[in-house]
Amino acid sequence: MELFNIFIKSAFIDNLVLSYFLGMCSYLAVSKSVKTAFGLGMAVIFVLGITMPINWLINEFLLKDTGIFGTDLTFLRFILFIAVIASMVQLVEMVVEKVSPALYNALGIFLPLITVNCAILGGSLFMVSREYTFGESVSFGLGGGFGWFLAIIAIAAIREKIRYSDVPPALRGLGMAFILTGLMGIAFMSLMGIDPGSY
Amino acid sequence: MNENTKTLIFVAIMCVVVAALLAGLRGVTYETAIENEKIFNQRAILLALGDNLPTPVDALSDEEVQNIFQEQMKSSVAVDVEGEVIGDINPLEIRLDEERKKDLSERKFPLFVYENSGEKFYIISMRGNGLWDEIWGNMALESDVATVAGVSFDHAGETPGLGAEIKDNKNWVNQFSGRSVLSDYNGKYTGVIVRKGGAKDKKYEVDGLSGATVTADGVTDMIQQYMSYYEPTLQKLKADGKLGMK
Amino acid sequence: MAETLETKKTAAEPLFGKKERKLIVDPLNDNNPITVQVLGICSALAVTSLLYPSIVISIAVVFVCAFANVITSLLRNNIPKSVRLIVQLVVIATLVTVVELVLKAFSYPVYKNLSVYIGLIITNCIVMGRLEAFAMANKPWRSFIDGIGNGLGYGAILIIVAFFRELFGKGTLFAGTPIAMNIIGPDSPAVDYWLNTNAEWLSWYSNNNIAVLPAAAMFIIGILIWVQRSYNQKLVDVS
Repeated sequence: MELFNIFIKSAFIDNLVLSYFLGMCSYLAVSKSVKTAFGLGMAVIFVLGITMPINWLINEFLLKDTGIFGTDLTFLRFILFIAVIASMVQLVEMVVEKVSPALYNALGIFLPLITVNCAILGGSLFMVSREYTFGESVSFGLGGGFGWFLAIIAIAAIREKIRYSDVPPALRGLGMAFILTGLMGIAFMSLMGIDPGSY
Repeated sequence: MNENTKTLIFVAIMCVVVAALLAGLRGVTYETAIENEKIFNQRAILLALGDNLPTPVDALSDEEVQNIFQEQMKSSVAVDVEGEVIGDINPLEIRLDEERKKDLSERKFPLFVYENSGEKFYIISMRGNGLWDEIWGNMALESDVATVAGVSFDHAGETPGLGAEIKDNKNWVNQFSGRSVLSDYNGKYTGVIVRKGGAKDKKYEVDGLSGATVTADGVTDMIQQYMSYYEPTLQKLKADGKLGMK
Repeated sequence: MAETLETKKTAAEPLFGKKERKLIVDPLNDNNPITVQVLGICSALAVTSLLYPSIVISIAVVFVCAFANVITSLLRNNIPKSVRLIVQLVVIATLVTVVELVLKAFSYPVYKNLSVYIGLIITNCIVMGRLEAFAMANKPWRSFIDGIGNGLGYGAILIIVAFFRELFGKGTLFAGTPIAMNIIGPDSPAVDYWLNTNAEWLSWYSNNNIAVLPAAAMFIIGILIWVQRSYNQKLVDVS
């Protein structure tokens, strides 16, 4: 049950995009249409869901002084975490290129840039500082990815609709996306601190 | 040579070069870095005393800082969670980040005692989690062992301008002075609470930091946790100003 | 968005010619990393609540971007495509970690000031975005210039956003530095000093907490985009 609560909390309450404003670059750049947003969202769920447990294992068994090397190697945390993330993204890139060339072209540079999507490294660092167990880190990874997915689908749907509205020309597209996200973020602030595990 | 072998060789060379570079550099700089960190932490402990120090910490040289620890703080001790003094340990050598991993009964906690012309202050150290990484701090208590004389906080990686304000925002830090960590309601050490939206009870609460709720909550949790660890020690000091030897 | 410069092999190519100038000037407006390329947004939201951290991170990004570009550009013909992302990131992370370790030993106060930016720099998509879009296909010197240009374009937006957020959120400017000044709000002696008048007329202002939140940066960048595109019609989104 605790695992389910972590999933809900990381997806809906501590949403990585709307509460912490992480992973913004690709979120803003790729949310022009729901279709591409869907593809990128799925990629982020996959990368977050799989790097979180791997990074948990690395942190627990390689970096801590209780690990197999017996010394404190936490100064290598950034490099190792990010190397894991980069290799997973590289994998996703190869798969997407083979399976759906159209999506590959639509995502452009933002597919490799999932690597530096701060939501993903941020998620791994949150996992360390919140002292999650292995199961919790899996649940947190999937929940965080799902929350990111929902956020980008939401903004893409709004942007598709708003194309038919009378927005000042200079504000069309990106400018409006910034302001909308700001508003959504303020709305999400009121949810912060809710703990679904307690009353 | 096919593509895969080339890739493997490239990755192998890269790993060896990077690992050797970083490990070597860390080996060379480790001792100096530890020395730097020590003096930095000593300054942070004195910083908690705030205006009660005759000269501000920033104006003191490294030697003067060490002199203060040798002369005015010579009755500093290490205590355990029962409030007993553990002999033969220099409290400055205690690393709370390592103590945190041990069982509660085996942990050591530093208790710094600062004496200057009849005035006496007790300084305790604590460590907890912020948003991104660890946060830590020191809290100086006046001789009544209840009123906060001052605090100093630091952090490993909170966001500058938001969470990092626990260290940088002097106005916020100064709020702690004069607050009480001892509850009048049950006589226990409950600590000072960082209240989002503004302090309600000015005796036990300080204002929150807007935009940094998680870090501010981390500060509250850290203080409450360490108050419970130091509770036996502080109760004994309050009763007769003496601690038992283990 | 990814401009590809043809690298002509002419013998007498000037060290700082028209193309190099373009590499510096373009990111400031026509190809700004934040408002046009949409890179480096997260750090632009996180640190801009105060001016001083924004300036520090801008300078750091200029350096890291320029040198990571040079190193990647030197290696570009040897990097196998299937591991290029890992290599790029290892370059960035190693560069940053080396600087961190050296500072920790030789200048601890500077290290304490900069250490909190490390995560923000490694995950800053500007650095990797420029490696991927430019340094992988261009010569070291051009890549160096491109890194500096993009770092400056990023810094310009950061400083504008931070100016407004700090002024309206805290009523101060340059808080945390020796030249910290209170501009508006209950205690605003700076105005007194400058205009040599009573500053009471500005003391009605009370700090706006929304401006401290990252959401405020979203609004300010949104408005900046609006202003920029009103003057620069070719950037307007026609779709």
